[in-house]
Amino acid sequence: MAAPTTMGIPRDGQGGGRKPSFFGRSETGAAYILLLPMLALFACAVIYPLIDTILLSFTDMRGMAAGKWIGARNYLTLFRDPNFLTALSTTIVWTLVVTALSVGIGWGLAIVCSLAPRATLVFRVMFFAAYGVAETVSGFIWLGIFRPGTSGLLNAVFAGIGLGDWTTAWLGNVSTALWCLMAAYAWTQVGLPLMTCFASIQTIPKTLFEAAYIDGARSTSIMRYIVLPLSMPGLRVAIFINLLNALRAFDMIFVLTGGGPVRSTETIGYFMFRESMLQFKLGYGAAATVVLLLAVVVISIPAIIKRTAEAT
Amino acid sequence: MNTAGSLKRGTRLSSALFIGLAAGSAALMATLGGAFAAPKGELVVINWLGGSELAAMQAFEKAFTEKYPEVTVKEIPITWSGDARGAIRTTLMGGEKVDILINTWPSFRQELVANGILRPLDEAWTKNGWDDKLSKSWRDLGTLEGKVYGIPYNYGDRSGLWYRVDTLKAAGVTTPPATWDDLLASFPKLKANGVTPYIVPGKFWAHAEVFETLLIRTAGAEASRKLGAHEIAWNSDIVKTALKKWREMLDASCCADVSTMLGTDWDNASDIVLKDAKGGFFLLGMWINNRAEDNYGLKPGADYGLVQFPALGLGHDTDSSVDAKEFNAVTTGQNPEAADAFLDFALSAEGSAVFAKAGLASPSKATDTSLYGPVIKTSNDVVAKADVVFVLGDRLPAELGDEYRTQLQKFLQDPSDANIDRITDALEVKAKELY
Amino acid sequence: MNNRGTIWIPVLVGALAVLWIIPLVGLLLTSLRPPGDITQGWWRLDNFSLTLDAWRSVWTKYPLAGAFWTSFKLTVLSTLGTMLLAPAAAYAFQFLRFPGRRLILIVIVNAFVLPQQVVIIPLFTLWRDTGLIDSLWSCVIPFVGMSFAWSVFLVKNFLEDFPKELIEAAKVDGCTPLGTFWYVVLPNALTPIAAVGILQFLWCWNSMLLPMLYLRTEVPLTVLLARVAGSFEPNLDQQSVAAIITMAVPLAIFITFQRYFTAGASSRTGGKE
Repeated sequence: MAAPTTMGIPRDGQGGGRKPSFFGRSETGAAYILLLPMLALFACAVIYPLIDTILLSFTDMRGMAAGKWIGARNYLTLFRDPNFLTALSTTIVWTLVVTALSVGIGWGLAIVCSLAPRATLVFRVMFFAAYGVAETVSGFIWLGIFRPGTSGLLNAVFAGIGLGDWTTAWLGNVSTALWCLMAAYAWTQVGLPLMTCFASIQTIPKTLFEAAYIDGARSTSIMRYIVLPLSMPGLRVAIFINLLNALRAFDMIFVLTGGGPVRSTETIGYFMFRESMLQFKLGYGAAATVVLLLAVVVISIPAIIKRTAEAT
Repeated sequence: MNTAGSLKRGTRLSSALFIGLAAGSAALMATLGGAFAAPKGELVVINWLGGSELAAMQAFEKAFTEKYPEVTVKEIPITWSGDARGAIRTTLMGGEKVDILINTWPSFRQELVANGILRPLDEAWTKNGWDDKLSKSWRDLGTLEGKVYGIPYNYGDRSGLWYRVDTLKAAGVTTPPATWDDLLASFPKLKANGVTPYIVPGKFWAHAEVFETLLIRTAGAEASRKLGAHEIAWNSDIVKTALKKWREMLDASCCADVSTMLGTDWDNASDIVLKDAKGGFFLLGMWINNRAEDNYGLKPGADYGLVQFPALGLGHDTDSSVDAKEFNAVTTGQNPEAADAFLDFALSAEGSAVFAKAGLASPSKATDTSLYGPVIKTSNDVVAKADVVFVLGDRLPAELGDEYRTQLQKFLQDPSDANIDRITDALEVKAKELY
Repeated sequence: MNNRGTIWIPVLVGALAVLWIIPLVGLLLTSLRPPGDITQGWWRLDNFSLTLDAWRSVWTKYPLAGAFWTSFKLTVLSTLGTMLLAPAAAYAFQFLRFPGRRLILIVIVNAFVLPQQVVIIPLFTLWRDTGLIDSLWSCVIPFVGMSFAWSVFLVKNFLEDFPKELIEAAKVDGCTPLGTFWYVVLPNALTPIAAVGILQFLWCWNSMLLPMLYLRTEVPLTVLLARVAGSFEPNLDQQSVAAIITMAVPLAIFITFQRYFTAGASSRTGGKE
């Protein structure tokens, strides 16, 4: 929902009357006071390693041997590496499907739960519980569910309801592995959208609903004109966090398939791990990281510029 | 070091100390100490082991400090997931001062040596007379470019098939297969009995064991050695023949469908064969023995067994693949005397007994073999007579090793001649980049 | 709304929720059933017996209390750091104008995709040179530093709907930008701050990679319990115990504080529609 810009803080160029009279009153001064501790930590934990990674990506460092500068060769190889290109397309599918699934389910649940907030409290906690489990642990649980043969829960269920033909080695089958992985990952991620969307919907004043009911509005239109728009702030946060979480997902893939069978479930995150931690091509893995970062930066810059403009 | 020798050292040390204290001269003490030093001070060990292996290593360290009370062992515990080498590398590259490293990958050792991280042990070898403890073949396995770097303390057979006695009996397979024909003939019998004859754990790495063993049976340990050093091309007939032998097994419907193979990890294979009795054979290392005894409560020999991979009659039927864990001495270490004593203790009767009691076979001749269970004993006897070669996957440079496992998965997907050509060519291209 | 006789809602949601936690039930059963009975699956009811063996052996074999305390210190420090610094930054980005604002925001938000693997080695060398290896700060600093990407976004997103009349009024009353943050924005932004706190708590509590590499003597629960799985013995029953112990705390925190996700509702009904 676009915040009204007219009554807010003046836009650039309009606020000419402000002058930095003393430190605390100057916005720039205050901003830097507020940002400084964060920036210091951020520089240490993110910027410094990032610069290190960028430098590394221009070397041919393998294992412990010091690398030598090879310019952009890693990047050129990367875009001719079929494994990287597959990983790239897998990443796109993975990120979109996982985000759509988890946010969609969470959002739907939030809407339903908001109709009976008290009665569903316990259930919301149950949905959220999956979010509190470490990813490696959920990985182990799902491993048991997808296990080949009848010792896997999914196969046992299919065999039990007479769909024995449907049983397969879910994670060993090239055509099912990625989907199973995405379902398992989405399972861990539903809790957050549920919570943020629910919170947003709860901010809708009850009088608004009552007025709508009294006016004889049908529940579909209440949904469309009140609930949907007003759950947007929570939805926005959920999409953002889940999208970026999906992009970084690693542990689940690591535990469930290790990128297999035959590298068919490898996202860029896993590709980086394989190149730098299993094959020890540190320079090459660093280049893949930089490409991923660049892609995300390019995608997100317009959105951020738009939103920062909107907000002021 | 034998007991008498160490006793002598002990007495010499105390007299040296005595003289040193009496004279009140640090210099004198240093000279005498240098001449007859018993190790003292702190010994830093990078320990990335887990579970029962970790327990065995800590028992060993305890025994070591009991014997050398002036040494304290400081462990740098490494917790890892995936590949321990990533974490070990981080620790070493971070500049940690380390005396001893536990290692199980020859290719990693090579990388460490190339970067000057390991200390050659030839001097210590002669001084401590390790020739009495380790055979020449073990020395060769630990040698790189003419210098010894690795002192093995534990090894295991990697060319044996695990099976359950009752599964075979129920299917009418009275003796475990001794020849290729026996093996192929056992498949329909097992299958008729509702058992998957042969489990290929193709999810991550364990399927490669089948190829490696077939390579050894068809071309010999020496060929495997050469392939690891890329003295033989990956697209040579030697490799293709081994893959075609594997295809014979697949054609004899040894195994489950591709998806199941690619979805099965080594621990599933072990469960299926030894615990659930739903599989006939699988090929894996000696750690299965502890698993079968401790986790499944089976009796070695009576309930389950290990048989060397059947003979193919091509002249390499006793050759065998092995894995080993070794100690390396690190150059940054501050206490080389203690490090050497630690290695020496690992090869001693007392030291190897600690491992033997934990079910870990030691290559040292000083080991009391009566401590071994029947399965370990049989496999040791076989390995002792065999021409052994280290597991191929661990000898390959990491990059090729990873590619090799992936290409073998592709073989399982399509074992046709054309695909064998594609796979072996792809591996050769990768290998050419690296050697 | 809940007076409209919508009994089907809790029933439907409840059924789904039960389905949802089946994997977690599996975890619990794996920890309680003898490992030998469940190689065919924890849901098999033949041979059903329960045992506390796994719980006992984890309890006796591993120094849980110490690890618990380490986890607690590590997580609380990291969570407080983020809860204090992220709102300040979000306020600055949202309401103050200063050179470099957009650029800094873009850099910070995009840092979210930075995989943890990337920071391992550079930070390891940095901590070694500064003597921070094996100190809690070696993990707290990156935990807080890396959290800004999403925490700043989350709080800023909330502030976008913040009633601007309040800020204007404060300005008219002569409140400085810092004063406005402290007296006007902070007290009204408890909802997103609580949400940030809960999420950061969960993630820090469950994190393993950095503590695994940087901490030696005092390790958190996740690292201690990662040692439960040997390289060649999965010990699934004990691992499940470990997982349950680890997840109990964040879950309790969540249950206690989840109302903050919604509690803010009443405080910010103005400025809407």
